[in-house]
Order: sequence, then structure tokens, then C-alpha cells
Amino acid sequence: MLFFSFFKTLVGQEVTVELKNDISIRGTLKSVDQFLNIKLENISVVEEIKYPHLSAVKSVFIRGSTVRFVHLPATQVDTALLQDATRREAAQAGGKAKLG
Amino acid sequence: MASPSEPGNRPDEPLDLVRLCLDEIVFVKLRGDRELKGRLHAYDSHCNVVLGEVEETIYKFEEDDEDAEPVTIKKQSEMLFVRGDSVVLISPNPPS
Amino acid sequence: MFTTAAQLLDLTDKKLMVVLRDGRKLIGVLRSWDQFANLVLQDTVERIFVQRVWGEMRRGLYLVRGENVLLLGEIDLDLDDVIPEPYEQAPWETVEALYGEENEAKKRRERARARKLQALGFEGEGAGEGLY
Repeated sequence: MLFFSFFKTLVGQEVTVELKNDISIRGTLKSVDQFLNIKLENISVVEEIKYPHLSAVKSVFIRGSTVRFVHLPATQVDTALLQDATRREAAQAGGKAKLG
Repeated sequence: MASPSEPGNRPDEPLDLVRLCLDEIVFVKLRGDRELKGRLHAYDSHCNVVLGEVEETIYKFEEDDEDAEPVTIKKQSEMLFVRGDSVVLISPNPPS
Repeated sequence: MFTTAAQLLDLTDKKLMVVLRDGRKLIGVLRSWDQFANLVLQDTVERIFVQRVWGEMRRGLYLVRGENVLLLGEIDLDLDDVIPEPYEQAPWETVEALYGEENEAKKRRERARARKLQALGFEGEGAGEGLY
């Protein structure tokens, strides 16, 4: 749930999603769900000429499993907070593993 | 911070090693043809990670030449989310 | 479960461009869907872009199994059917044959690349998935 919460804090920001098929799509992050499926608005495709099928598309739903990277605006990421949240999540997961 | 590889810091389970790397520079090898070096800010049990100050290395080959050495392309990214299913390994010791 | 209702609700009854795992591009109107992102597309056409040409084939009513969906794009009706330069329309049979040849060549290149990458300790990016 850590990254679901993290992406929710980035809604409204400009991000670039790089898919495993090498297409990079830049757009405004509109929504994200627990599977890290991503919706982008006002998209532009890097190297548009290679991917003509997206030229009439204004917003996309990207299945989470096809994502390789998401490039994020560093100024919108509180890295200290993110590391704390990661430690908390790791502690929780570790506790669960020992109980189970 | 103590080095994750020192004795006494031995991790209980594999991802504990990754926890000890938080805020450190790590090396991440990916499926496909990519390697990353960057500062680890977050991870989860799927090996999804967020890295800062990232240097990405991509290996490309000249087509139709069996013996050609790979050409490496370097890319920078200030902040990068990496989906865990692409991750092959995470190491605290970047190869120099 | 692979998606949540909120994500697809506002795409219902919209004209969509769907990219499938094998690289196919379908254009149709989304009429129904479920939590697996299984889709029912009405008045579907399949489009192929290859080299400098494109072609189109009417497919009709489709049910697409969710796991094969890479991406759904909502088509801006103002930009609908704007095909960017330098692509020109050609007969479906021509385009399809050309596409088949390209794919074979691409597969050969991929295999050669995978061999070379193996020497560097790399693993392919999923068995044939998302290569397009």
C-alpha cells in the first residue's frame, strides 16, 4: 500500500510513464489504484512519430503491469517522509511475517 | 550509518538488506538491458523502488554484427519509480 | 482483481484505442467491463501502422480478455482519424503482409539481442510480453 499512497500524493503532477515496450508517455497524473494502474490526462508521446496510434488520444489508462518506470518531479517528493514510511511499512510486514 | 555488509548487521530476511540501504546509493539490475544507480528512498515487498539522482545505463547492440561490443547509453533522472517485476537484483555496492 | 471501478467508469461509452499485449491496436466504443478489465468493444476496427503506411479492418463486436490489455486511450473526437505524417493509407492485405514481415525481422533481431545480453547477465523482459 506504500506506493499506492505515495502515488496518490502525486495526483495532479506532471509525470512521464515509461512502458516495458519502450513507449514514454508524459501527462498529468489523474488517478491511481491499488494495482498501480495509472490514468494520465493531456498526454504527449515522446517520439510521437514512432507511435502514430496515440496521436488522437488525449487521456490514457495504463495497466500497472506494463509499466517499467515512472519519472517523477523531484521537488514534489518528500524523501525523508518517504523513507520513514518505508521503514514503517517494512516493520509492519516483518511483524506479519514472524506472526504468520 | 554502519555499512550493511558489516557483521552484527546481518539481516533476518532478504528485504532487511534493502532496508539498511535506505538513503544510500544502490545498484539495481533490471530485466531487459538496463542498470540503475541511485539513492534509495523507498521500496516494498514487490521490490518496487523509488530512487533519486538516478543514472540509468542501457546496453545497445549494433544490428547484424555478432561480435560487436555493446554500446552503453547513459540517462539521468532526478526521481524515478521502478516497478518491482523488472527488478533482478538490488546491491548496496555499486560496481565502479 | 486488476482494476477498480472508478478507473473505467468514466471511459464507458467512449471511443477508445486499445493496445493489446501482442501489439494489436483496436479502436471501438467501450460498452461493458469488469474488475479484471475484460472489455466489450462495439464497432471495433483494427488498425496497423507499419513503415510509412497504415491499414484498417472492420472487426465488429469484441470481448477482450483483461490480461491482454496494455493500455486504453480515450480518443479526442476533435482529433479523431487524424493520421500523422508521413503515414498513408494502403489496402489491409498489403499492410498486414508488410507487418508480418517486419515482425519476423524484429523477432530475429530480438533473439540475437537476447543472446548477446545473456553474456552480460541480463534476462529478457518477460516472455514476449510488451515487446511492441
